[in-house]
Amino acid sequence: MSFNLLRTGGDLLSLIWAGTVAGCLYALGALGLVMIFKCSRVVNFSHGNVAGLAAFLVYGFSTGSLLQLSWGSAVLLALVIIVALAALTYALIAPLIFESELTSTIATLGIGLIAQGIIQLLFGADIVSMDLPIPNWHMTMLGQRITSYDLTILAATGVIVTGLFLVIDKTRLGIAFRAVSANPFAAEICGLSLRSVHVFAWVVAAALGVTAALLIVPTTFLSSTTVSSFMLQAFAAAVVGGFSSLPGTVLGGIVVGILVNLFSFYVSPEFSNTFLLCVILVTLNIFPNGLLERGTGSRV
Amino acid sequence: MSERPWLLGASALLVIALIALPLAIQGFWLYSLGLCFANGLGVLAVTFLVRYAGEVSIGHSFFVAAGAYTVAIADRSFGLSALVSVWPAIALGVLLGIGFAFPSRKLSGIYLAVTTMALALALPELILQAGPWTGGFEGLYVSRELLPGVPKPLQQYYFALAALVVATAMLGRFRQSRQGLALLTARSHPAAAEAFGVGRDWARVSAMGISGGLGAASGAALAFTSSTVSPNSFTLWTSIFLLVGSVVSVYGLTLGRALLGGAFVTLVPQLLAGSGDWIPILYGVALLAVILAGHYLPRWRAAGRSAS
Repeated sequence: MSFNLLRTGGDLLSLIWAGTVAGCLYALGALGLVMIFKCSRVVNFSHGNVAGLAAFLVYGFSTGSLLQLSWGSAVLLALVIIVALAALTYALIAPLIFESELTSTIATLGIGLIAQGIIQLLFGADIVSMDLPIPNWHMTMLGQRITSYDLTILAATGVIVTGLFLVIDKTRLGIAFRAVSANPFAAEICGLSLRSVHVFAWVVAAALGVTAALLIVPTTFLSSTTVSSFMLQAFAAAVVGGFSSLPGTVLGGIVVGILVNLFSFYVSPEFSNTFLLCVILVTLNIFPNGLLERGTGSRV
Repeated sequence: MSERPWLLGASALLVIALIALPLAIQGFWLYSLGLCFANGLGVLAVTFLVRYAGEVSIGHSFFVAAGAYTVAIADRSFGLSALVSVWPAIALGVLLGIGFAFPSRKLSGIYLAVTTMALALALPELILQAGPWTGGFEGLYVSRELLPGVPKPLQQYYFALAALVVATAMLGRFRQSRQGLALLTARSHPAAAEAFGVGRDWARVSAMGISGGLGAASGAALAFTSSTVSPNSFTLWTSIFLLVGSVVSVYGLTLGRALLGGAFVTLVPQLLAGSGDWIPILYGVALLAVILAGHYLPRWRAAGRSAS
């Protein structure tokens, strides 16, 4: 009996640990969505497809199928391309943003389709594996196996989130970002350029997407749908976080990561998308503004 | 429709032409056109939601699948032909639309779009898990004939055509009806609509119900016209393509526009079958082109007018 309890406790602990690690990845993906939504009110449905393209570009640049570069320079080159692509995307749909948020959201689906098409054109139905260049190492703590990969994810998330919050809290650009998010009209009257703040958000979001994609791929194989299939989790994380709160999004990612893991283990692994649909619906009905903000009026 | 008699005339001519068309074409093109009609209905379902509720859905594969599987299951398990089972299929679509709209009735804009995306992604696993009913990965066949003695390709063509024509005619009437006007008022002037007793929640739930019914009708036509139903045809991409068709038809609810959207969704993949990787790119470019044209064209015209 006590042995069973202990084992259940061990299961629970390792589920929570794995869920937290996965949740950090969801949070990284969701942060990009939230950055863009917060200041320009557009839901970027192309986020996952573009991040998937980034992962394939890194693969192509580092293995010789496109170029033969070291891992670091491959990542740098892919980052430059994706950031340029994000700026280009923004330039293309910027006129729509000021007209209708729904139209511009539909337009991002078009961008996503194009990114998906480019992946299929360049890499076809390839299924490849891609690891991070980190030492393969693990330790055991409280009966829990902790790998270097887990720690990399936690560290990367920690560094990125801290950096992002410092930028948004302390720098002029960050203050402008917060001003535009809070009240675009007033911000514009005060002389802030909406467009440069939007470009900042789109570029940072793209970089976050690239990072998330690179960290996600080692957990599975890289195929044309791997990264975009993480989008539902990222969207759920954003919704749980309230879609416009950055700390809420990180929390949302971890909550979603843990919940999905628990659900897959104790109920059924085959219904995880349905479970996420329910999580989204329940959250939006009970906490319309996310877990961290309550009672500030409903967002309808 | 009374305001635009030419539209009625043009639609009538189009219907006559489409009824006569099987005299001229057959085989592959007849089959493809049948699919165009069926997908046109799906495009109408998405467009209806945009026009009457101002909402975007990328989850309509859910309602299409509900209709398609109803017809297929009725065919296999109860021996009913599509002519009979299309009605319960539509009823199920309406119920599912209402069932989905009720918990999401307070959501709008992007929140609803995200929720419909989750709906589309949840659909394949629901179909697979209902294997004993839905045939799992392999899907089901729809083989029962509507009218013995008439060649099967003609039955499939005319069934889909009839469904599309009836739906567009009803939508034309709906635009003039009390209910239609109530929904449009609730969309553009929610406060005024509220004052007349048309609540937002009611408007949303009923728009979603009708849209779900249209989607299910599309699925029923699709199942009978293509003779097969399988989970591969109901992914998130299906839903996104329906939205692309809706955008490309500039959110039109007339027969011609529905045909345009349906043709875009159906024929592009068939024409590009040899180079399938270009399909997403082409769809994406078409989507962006139509949206950007919708943004810039009125401005250019206005600029041209003020210059001359």
